[in-house]
Amino acid sequence: MRTPQLADTAETGAVGLENVIEVGGLRQKYGDFEAVRGVSFTVARGEVFALLGTNGAGKTTTMEVLEGFTPATQGTVRVLGLDPVRQRRGLRPRIGIMLQEGGFFGDLTVAETVELWKGLSEDAGRPVTLSGTEVPGRLSLTGWTKGINGATMGALELVGLENKARTRVKQLSGGQKRRLDLALAVLSAPELLFLDEPTTGMDPEARRTTWRVIEDLRERGTTVLLTTHYLEEAERLASRLAIMHEGRIHTYGTVDEVVSGSGDIVSFRLGGASRSYDELPFLDGAAPTLTYTGEGTEVVYTLTDGQAHVRAHAALSPLLAWADGRGEVLERLTVRRGTLEDAFMRVVGETA
Amino acid sequence: MRTDVLHAVRLAKLDLTLVFRNTTALFTVLLLPLMMAWLFTQTQGTATIEGAPAALYVLTGVPGLIVGFAVFINLVNSFTARREELVLKRLRGGQPSAAAVMAGSALGALALFLGQVVLLAIWIRRAEGATPVNIPLMLLAAVLGVAVFGLLAAAFSGLTPNAEMAQITVLPVILVMMVGSPVAFPTNALPGALGTISGLLPVTPIVKIMRSAFLGADHYTGTGRALSALEQWTGALPSLGILAGWVVVTALLARWLFRWEPRHG
Repeated sequence: MRTPQLADTAETGAVGLENVIEVGGLRQKYGDFEAVRGVSFTVARGEVFALLGTNGAGKTTTMEVLEGFTPATQGTVRVLGLDPVRQRRGLRPRIGIMLQEGGFFGDLTVAETVELWKGLSEDAGRPVTLSGTEVPGRLSLTGWTKGINGATMGALELVGLENKARTRVKQLSGGQKRRLDLALAVLSAPELLFLDEPTTGMDPEARRTTWRVIEDLRERGTTVLLTTHYLEEAERLASRLAIMHEGRIHTYGTVDEVVSGSGDIVSFRLGGASRSYDELPFLDGAAPTLTYTGEGTEVVYTLTDGQAHVRAHAALSPLLAWADGRGEVLERLTVRRGTLEDAFMRVVGETA
Repeated sequence: MRTDVLHAVRLAKLDLTLVFRNTTALFTVLLLPLMMAWLFTQTQGTATIEGAPAALYVLTGVPGLIVGFAVFINLVNSFTARREELVLKRLRGGQPSAAAVMAGSALGALALFLGQVVLLAIWIRRAEGATPVNIPLMLLAAVLGVAVFGLLAAAFSGLTPNAEMAQITVLPVILVMMVGSPVAFPTNALPGALGTISGLLPVTPIVKIMRSAFLGADHYTGTGRALSALEQWTGALPSLGILAGWVVVTALLARWLFRWEPRHG
């Protein structure tokens, strides 16, 4: 298991694979505000790498530096072996970008938007099949005024917008705009795809459709860097992930590695007469935390040292002995493996 | 290079499509300058100005208004709204280069400008019986004029926080263009230093070249005498020089002030 609470310039990387993204000691400042405070990681070819974090964690800023929107204040950044700002022209045809929001011509229809974007893509000529749908090849300059190209319809079917082909973009819902954004991002069959909160605002069905598209891309060898607030999205899609908070990466690794880092959770409520919360014991060195809910006070221990899932059972003996000795009743006693949410909340809580 | 040109042409075509889908823009860009031209002609009597009938004098100066509305106002609105709606960011995140994006907007504005000048020429032909004498010189003035006011629009968009405010930030420039340029009357009619300053404004050389090239007469010095083909070009040189200088100045301003994205925080 990798150690959480990394030093600022610690590296997170997959060993022995070609790195598509290399970030070293990245810092990004806007005026006096430092949005990213020394981030280092690598993403290997074919990986889906997720950046998780709260609002303002620095995910989007990191991604925008990688996309070449802004030069890094400090640190090194290589994307597909290129400097994303200085070698923009060489990089752009090889990457796809899904912005976090906006960026559409509201008075164009959905189909016109796709065809415009194809017209602005240097190498959008390679048809690609994703989720059983063919993404279009190159279109003509005059395409959009002469009816909807079948290939364009294919791109819209890919994201479930075929029924909206003739709708003006400004009339789409937020979730539908996200789906259109995804269609644009994958149009030119990029080697590397940047997805900034790709499913925000989508309904559950659209979210699953998007996940399937991303999974298909992964199977085809496309490298994906995504940011997300949705932990289940990261668990389902990511080969590896990093949790960012306040401009730093606090923990990273495969989902299993990060989750195991969050340890085992022992929780219960005291049901005895004395309810001596003040005298709760330490378990394996872990202090209890009390969570107050409408149903009462829940006691939670997080066991993170070593093979926590093995030691959790051993830790129960002193707890049971303590309860017996005091006549306490441990109601709803539960021992479970930590989740990604636990890991996430621990990072956020530790640094709050 | 070829890719940049293709991208610019596609973006220009897009701009034209969007203008014709937006009623407000269509009114501001296409109808307003022509309505103002009609109004100006109604305020003139039957007198002559610099040897030309007053109405003809005014109409041949109207390109100075058109460049303000079809190019400057149009592009300030467009750049500002697209920046705030993150359209510019999306374009910059795609394959078109920054130069192609800017050139696309300029090309679209140039097409609008030339389209209106053609409409104006038809109007002048029908109303005054005059036809353009030196079309290549008019085209050169159009290209330089669109370059200057396109770059100025890029710079002004950087000073404009949102699309609503764009209606206000363009006003000073438009007022100066209407009052301080020789659209409806010669700038030497302005008192003292104002006449000199007016002569150095970017719109003045556009109006002077357009009018002189259209009528084949000297409206550079204001004599109104007929010019040979060579004299039309040599007479235009000072005005072309002023325009070239403004291209440099506005390019520097645009480089300094233009923003692709809304301000952070």
